[in-house]
Amino acid sequence: MPQLGESIAEATVISWLVKVGDTVTAGQEVMEVETSKATLTVTSSVAGKIKKLIAVEGETYAVGNVLAELTTDTAPAKPAEDKPHFGSGSETTISTPSNTVEPVLQGLPVPVGAAGASYLSPRLKARMAELGLHAADLAGVAGSGANGRVTVEDFEAFVSRLEQNRLTPASSMRIAVADAMRRSWTRPIATVGMPVRLDALLAHRATLNPKPGPALYSLRALALALGENSAPAGRLVGSRIVHPSSIDIGFAVEAEDGVLVPVIREANHKTLRELVTRYNELVTLARERRLPADATGGSIATITNFGTFGLTWATPIPLPEQTLVLGLGAGSKVPCWDEEKKQFVPVMEANLTLSFDHRVMDGGAAGRLLGRVATLMQLPDAL
Amino acid sequence: MQRLVEAVPPAAVTGGPNDPVLRPSALDPSQLRLAYRWVLLARLLDDKTAALYRSGLVPGGAFLSKGQEALSVSLAMQLQPGDIYAPLIRDTAGRLAFGETIQDALRSCIGSPLGPMRGRDGNVHRGRPKDGYLPMISHLGAIPSVVNGALIARRLQGKPMGIGATCIGDGGTSTGAFHEAMNQAAVERLPLVMVVADNQYAYSTHRSRQFACDSLLDRAVGYGVDGHAVDGTDLAACMQVMDRAARRAREGCGPQLIVANLLRLCGHGEHDDASYVDPALKESHVGRDCVKAAADWLIAHGMAAPGELSKMQTDVSAELEKAVDEILRDPAPDPNVEKWTALATAALRENAS
Amino acid sequence: MSITYLEAIREAQARALGENPNVYIYGQDVGDFGGAFKATKGLAAQFPGRVIDAPISEDAIVGSAIGAAIQGMRPIIEMQFADFSTVGLNQIVNQAATYYWRTNVPCPITIRLPCGGTSGSGPFHSQSLEAVYAHFPGLVVLTPATVEDAYSMLLDAVAIDDPVIFCEHKFLYYHLKAEKLPTGALPVGKARIARAGRDLTLVTYSAMLHESLAAAEELATQGYQVEIVDLRSIKPLDTDTVMASVARTGRLLCVGEAWPWGGVTAEVIARVVSEGFDLLDAPPQRLNAKDTPIPFHPRLWAAHRPTAQSITAAARNVLNY
Repeated sequence: MPQLGESIAEATVISWLVKVGDTVTAGQEVMEVETSKATLTVTSSVAGKIKKLIAVEGETYAVGNVLAELTTDTAPAKPAEDKPHFGSGSETTISTPSNTVEPVLQGLPVPVGAAGASYLSPRLKARMAELGLHAADLAGVAGSGANGRVTVEDFEAFVSRLEQNRLTPASSMRIAVADAMRRSWTRPIATVGMPVRLDALLAHRATLNPKPGPALYSLRALALALGENSAPAGRLVGSRIVHPSSIDIGFAVEAEDGVLVPVIREANHKTLRELVTRYNELVTLARERRLPADATGGSIATITNFGTFGLTWATPIPLPEQTLVLGLGAGSKVPCWDEEKKQFVPVMEANLTLSFDHRVMDGGAAGRLLGRVATLMQLPDAL
Repeated sequence: MQRLVEAVPPAAVTGGPNDPVLRPSALDPSQLRLAYRWVLLARLLDDKTAALYRSGLVPGGAFLSKGQEALSVSLAMQLQPGDIYAPLIRDTAGRLAFGETIQDALRSCIGSPLGPMRGRDGNVHRGRPKDGYLPMISHLGAIPSVVNGALIARRLQGKPMGIGATCIGDGGTSTGAFHEAMNQAAVERLPLVMVVADNQYAYSTHRSRQFACDSLLDRAVGYGVDGHAVDGTDLAACMQVMDRAARRAREGCGPQLIVANLLRLCGHGEHDDASYVDPALKESHVGRDCVKAAADWLIAHGMAAPGELSKMQTDVSAELEKAVDEILRDPAPDPNVEKWTALATAALRENAS
Repeated sequence: MSITYLEAIREAQARALGENPNVYIYGQDVGDFGGAFKATKGLAAQFPGRVIDAPISEDAIVGSAIGAAIQGMRPIIEMQFADFSTVGLNQIVNQAATYYWRTNVPCPITIRLPCGGTSGSGPFHSQSLEAVYAHFPGLVVLTPATVEDAYSMLLDAVAIDDPVIFCEHKFLYYHLKAEKLPTGALPVGKARIARAGRDLTLVTYSAMLHESLAAAEELATQGYQVEIVDLRSIKPLDTDTVMASVARTGRLLCVGEAWPWGGVTAEVIARVVSEGFDLLDAPPQRLNAKDTPIPFHPRLWAAHRPTAQSITAAARNVLNY
């Protein structure tokens, strides 16, 4: 049954105009039918001989139904497929399965390719915010979604598994440090290091009272070096460098369950001797968690003396608002070849590290700054 | 049925006793004096609207009716309670004669919330559909079929049909919508009185660029409707022709097409200096001022005394000034109390606030 | 007994004419001929003088309906094809749609648009124009997808005090059948959950509901439970029902037979993203007809509009995101 009009689904056979055995030509009228719109005749699409009349007069047939069979010498023209029921197998352009959605408008990207384990859906982010969790908290969750993505189901399973362990609240200090480190870690942080000889420094220290610690020597050396060239302490914001306005240097003090960073203002303008008392006072205040407001914040670099824990090497992370952190390792006696004496001699040496935001400077600049600090530390009289 | 198509040359219209169609003696002097009062008020109201526009009190534009007052008032004065009236841009006189108050007119121009359009639409886009007074939209040719529909409604409701009166310019006749509506009215044989004000220019475009027939009256034959020509500068002639057209419409003779010649005596709006108008046209018969011509005619035919007309002017001016004083005290529309919904059905409003 | 979508439309009009003397039908060939699709078959004889043949003048057809409506009538206008309604667009969107807002006088007109594609109908007898009309303030746009909705929503349309664009799908005219006419229905403006599911919200309307239901069947065999929202009404749009479904599933696919640009699917997605961003597990997707005129040949036509297969593929992409 051909499609006999706009949206016509079926037609009723009124009468056959041919009988079995008749020879028909292409285009010859073979039957009369009635649709809901009109009475029409149906023609044969090919020439041939009527073999069998299938459709019965008075009955209704859907579009596409076979009405009769005829024998023919020529191959019939293939009618366009048009099955009128839903979800039928008519041709579509969706020929091969694909992982990407075809954009409905060309030129508009569909972000389906933005897959990966780091992807958090808006729904997942909202749920995490509700629970006070951060992306870093999910580091240990293996995603079961596309491309290893953590799904809401994965997340909920992870959260419920946590409940099976002993859980204690983290201190506010711990949370504050975690937050600062997480923010800082959004940047590409690199670390360079070199040994520095401490013999001259230790000899100089022995002559003073009160005695400054090695960390204060390194603080003063860094302040002088940055006083000479403050560019490495600049911060990159957008496409511009924010230069430091004052050489204020902080230093890390371990406090209960965290770290505090008191600040010494304009450390490039005060001698080592002038700094000792203030330095010691700030250490005490920090440990008592009583740091005054003018001794916190606003520093452009930090000193961390990880050597006090016996560590010889570390890769500290700068504070989020700083580009630099200078680290000082534990000192130890090492043999050093003496060219004059043509023999190894014992020297006191420690590792000096500089962690920096690689967006602001490269390894060469970091090395030059660190070398200058090491040189100054070996000239304690100048400090 | 025999269709009536009459072309009355201006000379005959203004002429005298031998005109078989137009006879001054057949006119009612009191009706003519009333008509004159409306055209006078319309002219003064136009001048006031222009003044308010130039002082910044009228947002958008000011669209005046100068030159079309006589034609406009003649149509409206044929209308009776229950008739439909759908005026167009230059129908200040007709609107007043149909019953619009000066306050409604001015409030629409300044966008007052107390006017019929409440600041939502303005200037000549005003009406009160419940009174059979339909507001135009800017799209020319869109109104006549609405008038047809109002008449069809009455036929279906078995109510008295009355007549539907509307107006269009020479430019508006070029639209498909105008043609569809005229044809529809003819097919349905509706009592539609369609006045074409052929004022020589559609904005700046001369009528010779709008149509190629000698007269738009020729179209009456094509639509199968009665046609009438009239001198649109002649109040007495307009009154008589409209009287006849309206009567034929009421008597079941189907749509009536009236084509009037006149000249717009102002710009399209007050922003337009009309410098494109041929000076010769202004000096010709078609360019004469219909308000002044009406006064002269009334006096010449003994239908009004000069003193009577000057007193009328004084009275009308006072009435106008009183209305202006009143509407200038109106508040401005308040966006915070505006009901920001276009739907009448409250339950279907998505964003009512 | 069974009744087709088209018969339901005829029956609704018969009932409206019978119940309200202010209802009349006006359109091309609607009189004794009974309409190009026979949607008014027999009505001219049953209601003499109230089912009126119009000249081929879509502008004047709508214009006169406006005039009649403001005089208290409830005209039902049949556009022979939705495609031809653009010839009357000005009256619909500039006159009818603005009437109440301008004048405070309601303009209750029902404009029936036989819309959507059928095989071999080509560029000018296949269009779905719901988004065009929904764009204009002051219009109600309905898109019934079932026999029951075709009947009840057409009666609703006649009762509504605003101009209603009634988009009836030609493909459903004869192909969709129900056992009987409904006795009750959801109110206009409420969407319907046509199939419940937990994995994906599939928002659709009109004939695409049935392609989407077929797609959902296929996806169910793969273990996905798709929830299908039949919008029923394009304007007003039932954002609440859509949002509640997305809150359950976290994923959204919108399917429409109309063109994509600025369309109903775009509107649904814009609302969900702006008001329900935190509900989403995946970027919402839409599937529409291709951005070309509608092709004549059945093979091209079948590829031009969304089908159960392409809907299944698009749904799987959203599900796998």
